[in-house]
Amino acid sequence: MTIDQIISAINSGAKTAEQITRESLDKIAEVNPSINALVEVFEQDALAQAKAVDAKKARGEKLGPLAGVPVAIKDNMLYKGHKATCCSKMLENYVSSYTATVVDKLIAADAVIIGRANMDEFAMGSTNQHSIYGPAKNPVDTTRVPGGSSGGSAAAVAAGMVPLALGTDTGGSVRQPAGFCGIVGIKPGYGRISRYGIIAFASSADQVGVLATNVRDAATALEVLAGKDVHDSTSLEAPVPAYAQEFTQDLKGVKVGLPNGFLDGLNEEIKARVEKAAEQLKARGAELIPVDVPHAKYAAPCYYIITSAEASSNLARYDGIRYGHSDRQATDLNTCYEGSRAPFGIEVKKRIIIGSYALTSERYEACFLKAMKVREKIREDFKKVFEKVDVLLTPTSPTTALKIGQKDDNPLSMYLADLYTCQGNIGGLAGISVPFGKDKQGLPIGVQFYGPILKEEKILNAAYHLEQSI
Amino acid sequence: MEITKKDVELAAKLSKMRVSEAETALYEEQLKALFKWVDELAAVDTENVRLTNVNLSAHMRPDTAVTNPALAQTLRDAFPDAQGDSAKVKKVL
Repeated sequence: MTIDQIISAINSGAKTAEQITRESLDKIAEVNPSINALVEVFEQDALAQAKAVDAKKARGEKLGPLAGVPVAIKDNMLYKGHKATCCSKMLENYVSSYTATVVDKLIAADAVIIGRANMDEFAMGSTNQHSIYGPAKNPVDTTRVPGGSSGGSAAAVAAGMVPLALGTDTGGSVRQPAGFCGIVGIKPGYGRISRYGIIAFASSADQVGVLATNVRDAATALEVLAGKDVHDSTSLEAPVPAYAQEFTQDLKGVKVGLPNGFLDGLNEEIKARVEKAAEQLKARGAELIPVDVPHAKYAAPCYYIITSAEASSNLARYDGIRYGHSDRQATDLNTCYEGSRAPFGIEVKKRIIIGSYALTSERYEACFLKAMKVREKIREDFKKVFEKVDVLLTPTSPTTALKIGQKDDNPLSMYLADLYTCQGNIGGLAGISVPFGKDKQGLPIGVQFYGPILKEEKILNAAYHLEQSI
Repeated sequence: MEITKKDVELAAKLSKMRVSEAETALYEEQLKALFKWVDELAAVDTENVRLTNVNLSAHMRPDTAVTNPALAQTLRDAFPDAQGDSAKVKKVL
């Protein structure tokens, strides 16, 4: 069921929130063992929340905008009294001491928090293969990855376990798995959603995002989650539109930018879908305008230097002294640090090493500072482009879902999987992936819209029209 | 820029992480590929770029002392081993 259908069913009395929650739990029991999307199900708490929603309705009180909607949260989001492990051995026993603002907002909207979703360890990866709970599988084809790092969130929605899941997106970790699993994933612009209570990976790029089966549901959820939070100084003070009410009748007057060179060398099937998407937008009244984003091709190396540097700093807190795994056999401080940090997985260790290396006095200027300056050039490019157009149309990923284990020996190829999505994080843009057809193997193809910061309604509207055109 | 085994070992040491010989060899190979790619950034003219994306006024405040005698007293009272303004805690190591 979609969010709209759940809300209608509960409001009309056709179903109770408890029935909806039990249906979700039944589906999880049926398919999660083969998909591994959820690493823990909060069955008792979820049922209690659902019953509370039903009691609220029985008292005649107004229900929240997500009343009775089962939601999965990524395993890097704090929910007081529940584990939040980042799918890492480092935090395997960590229990949240407070609740993230996004989770608080879901609960305040009468949603039901159903469980925590699988992910790449500390959100580093694009396949969901780096998890202490084992890989999540793509529901479309279980021999393939669901994408990552929010792979569990995407797989849970695509498999019908929940209609809505939260993820985080530092380089494409909401949009890329959404594309691989054939669902909608939106990463709003930097600062649109609070990150209070989200375990940090790279603070200048991390954003919370929404995964849903359709654009309208994503818009409904974004409206609940967006807004200034006094606990997060990077969240922006700006009115939150009723996104789901902002869809227009057609796309007349909407200017869609097509970045020159973005489709060069791309897989032919994906290229054809992006071109088809452009045609559909034009048929709905949009004006297609070729644009130049000359520095966008440098986004990926910038992304890997900047986010790894920030990760090396953010993850320095896992030193065995304050929380996380602690080496109790150590006899001196350095040995304690080294022993306590041993549980980090191979990808996390690598990113910390990349970051530490880029920040050494010898490499700081040529690596970190250079990447920061190139990021400014990329941002300037996008700023100029959005003076001419409303949204940009791009592929979400250069491939469809990979086989589990595929390309593991070539890390650069894996990094290139983020090519189109990391531009949004480096540029601070809002981005959405919407499913638009399949390849010859039946695997979903996602196309992406970018828009400027605080203009999420523009990309939602473009995605909505593309969705309607299928 | 050329990455060597020593670079990986230095970065691991700075990160307070133990890496095995096998991990060092793997990371050396992977970092070589990554930093070769990073070298492409040198082609971008950043001579006049100023880092302006951070709006400090949104995240900073004047560095002024805040005193709260009642809170200080509460904290002192919470530690039975407090002596003056110092509190004794369990040893870390």
